[in-house]
Amino acid sequence: MTGFVDLYSEGDTFLHRIDARVKIIAVLLLSVLAFLLSSVYPLTLLLTFIFILLFLARATLSRTWFALRFVIRFMVLIVVLWPIFDPSGTPVWATFGPVKITEPAVWRGITSAVRVGCLACVWYILMFTTSQRDLVRALVKMGLRFDFGLALAISLRFLPTFSATIDSIKDAERARGMELDKGGLLKRSKNYVAVLVPTIVSALRSADTLSLALHSRAYGARADRTYLREPKMRPKDAVALSIVIAILVVPVFFKYALGVPL
Amino acid sequence: MNALRMRDVSVRYPDADRDSLEGVTLDIAKGEWALLLGANGAGKSTLCMLMNGLIPHVIKCSMRGQVEVFGKDVASHSVATLSTKVGIVFQEPENQLFCMSAEEEVAFGPENLAVDREEIAARVEWALETVGLKGFNDRPPASLSGGQKQRLAIAAALSMRPDMLVLDEPAYALDPIGRLELYSLLADLKKKHNMTVLVVERDAEEAASFADRIVLMSEGRVVRTGSPKEVLADPSVLRSIGIPPPQLSEFGEALYARVGAPKVEGITLEEVVGEISAMLRAGRGPG
Amino acid sequence: MIPLPTFDETPIAALRNIDFSYDDGTVALQGVTLDIWRGEHIALVGGNGSGKTTLAKHLNGLLRPSRGRVLVKGKDTAKQSVAALSRTVGYAFQNPDHQLFCPTVAEEVLFGPKNLGFAEAEAVEKAGRALKMLSIDHLKDKAPLSLSLGDRRRVSVASVIAMDPEVLVLDEPSTGLDAREAAELMRALDGLNKDGKTVILITHEMRLVAEHSERVVVMAHGQVSLDCRTRVAFSEPETLRQSGVIPPVAVQLAQRLLEFDVSPEVLTVDELAEEVARVRGART
Repeated sequence: MTGFVDLYSEGDTFLHRIDARVKIIAVLLLSVLAFLLSSVYPLTLLLTFIFILLFLARATLSRTWFALRFVIRFMVLIVVLWPIFDPSGTPVWATFGPVKITEPAVWRGITSAVRVGCLACVWYILMFTTSQRDLVRALVKMGLRFDFGLALAISLRFLPTFSATIDSIKDAERARGMELDKGGLLKRSKNYVAVLVPTIVSALRSADTLSLALHSRAYGARADRTYLREPKMRPKDAVALSIVIAILVVPVFFKYALGVPL
Repeated sequence: MNALRMRDVSVRYPDADRDSLEGVTLDIAKGEWALLLGANGAGKSTLCMLMNGLIPHVIKCSMRGQVEVFGKDVASHSVATLSTKVGIVFQEPENQLFCMSAEEEVAFGPENLAVDREEIAARVEWALETVGLKGFNDRPPASLSGGQKQRLAIAAALSMRPDMLVLDEPAYALDPIGRLELYSLLADLKKKHNMTVLVVERDAEEAASFADRIVLMSEGRVVRTGSPKEVLADPSVLRSIGIPPPQLSEFGEALYARVGAPKVEGITLEEVVGEISAMLRAGRGPG
Repeated sequence: MIPLPTFDETPIAALRNIDFSYDDGTVALQGVTLDIWRGEHIALVGGNGSGKTTLAKHLNGLLRPSRGRVLVKGKDTAKQSVAALSRTVGYAFQNPDHQLFCPTVAEEVLFGPKNLGFAEAEAVEKAGRALKMLSIDHLKDKAPLSLSLGDRRRVSVASVIAMDPEVLVLDEPSTGLDAREAAELMRALDGLNKDGKTVILITHEMRLVAEHSERVVVMAHGQVSLDCRTRVAFSEPETLRQSGVIPPVAVQLAQRLLEFDVSPEVLTVDELAEEVARVRGART
């Protein structure tokens, strides 16, 4: 399974065009909603809604499959394991030795699985439709200190570089006769010193030059700072935000104020 | 006022057993292209880092003597102030490009100086176009080729609107064609914007003919300065400091050893071709 | 193309119709066929992105072709691991810092031979010889990471030579070295070549190629565009230019003086000076 360092999938869907801050808030609100709902039917409705959004994000097939594969596996795992570890409730459907499978436990398992599905997919939608750049900018605009935002951005930017460096280092050690993939755990751990040391040295050297470059471009010269591109809220972002707030507020109102079992 | 005025400058790093720069006195005029040549350990990088005040403000070391860039004493001006006069491009562009898009990279410097947003946008466009990366605004630096990264690093320095560009071994990771392109870009900057250029190299082959002046360094000291023609006329000086002379220079030396006068003076291919052709035609003689 | 004399019946390494593409789809090699005979001194050249490093990495199994076969000493590399192939094909990487991790130079140079299973005494002997060959014996007890770039590169090359492989592949070994260090390195490589080692140099320093390599393989866009004796290669400036390769200045100068009967097969400054002197003499 190839991991993705950057889940962002370029595109021009309406989701891509929404301000990153609105998307971050939306993800948080929808996550809160997923926790507040406790009945399986409204949760499934939420999941369906989120799935639709996920497909509307039009992420590449490989990314979507990567996301779904992970989520579905996890959901299935929860559905299967929950009743095994939760023997409470009636009626009992089956018994295997000390393990009691009861109907309410099965439903609880399914409910949790759907909840997890909602949480995971809503974050995937954010990742698919928001570039790392926009994410960091949004966080800084929402109050994250610029220094932290820069540190975050630099880490993200150098991840693929370090990944490539590590691959190159592994190749170099293999070419010196070291079998990185064989041997017991202890031997393999020792072998990884040969990979770890050059990696760290490489990182430190890069950091050194990077720090000089930052100084040379007047980083930290002034307390104030202008930004070439500022995230701007537009009317449609405000509309999207209100819709999301409504999606949270309405069921919460019905559940807690009116006592509807959601 | 000179672009650079160094008087008797010595620098020693902590734990070092000798000075990295020893009593260096050097002047570079405005709009001049100076090529600094020296073997590893000659002190070239140390000299570069004096240009914008990294030494003595950021790098721990002891410094004696006086360094002035465009009339400003580096010891009493901050790196931020000096960075608007002198832009440095370090070796390995990879480690200087840390933003997620070319545009951000180039905007970073002026943003730090709280420059007006419209002005920043204008500078970004100008810088990218000047280095030949027009339209590359949204490209992530990691996706660029070596030569393109080099140019982006230069653009990022240019957006600070410096009067002088210092490049520390810029040809390091480039192939010969890439090197020629780089030097041509610098020549353009010099011509169109009267940019003072200081290029540091370990090899003179491609760079020599572009420079107005060559400065030879060895073990922390300036050994010789002069025009390329003057310095390259005697390849043994270069050899003595561990620099391979350009092949044309060695050719002149080898030919002189075999046939005596006339001495080949040209430093570019065209010049030498002209001289040798003339010599061979003349040699035909009457009958 | 002038056929080259074979030193041996079986090439020590052979690539038969290799195709290779990277994970992201870029086609790096297309239909590459190449025979390398024991004892050759070859330069692998080409512009950035031409595929020269990609090709070289097939020789020790770092990369596997998507089509075609790679044979080392007559055996297909497909089933051999990189570590196993490193016994025959040594590879010195472009960035020496990607290799160095031991506390002393001596241990660093011993690392390879030990991995190959040489007995202690033999490993020490091979390491010692490698250190002397590159004139870095005096750095034995120093920490590799504290050395200058030139010294680090020599340590990295020494640690590959110490493994005593039959084929040595060096990726841009002169980058970062000054004139003296580069000359010493090349001297060491020439010495090894005289002893029968096959040397493959990946480089864009045409001057080194002209002065040391007897055969040049020029790559462009993932294919071999030229494969012949160095002298002959440099007298084909058009093909070279199209492959992003510029002949050394001495050769360029010679080519501009062809009308005066200067030989087009000049490689070095000295040869050119000799030629020009000869022609001048012939005219007076």
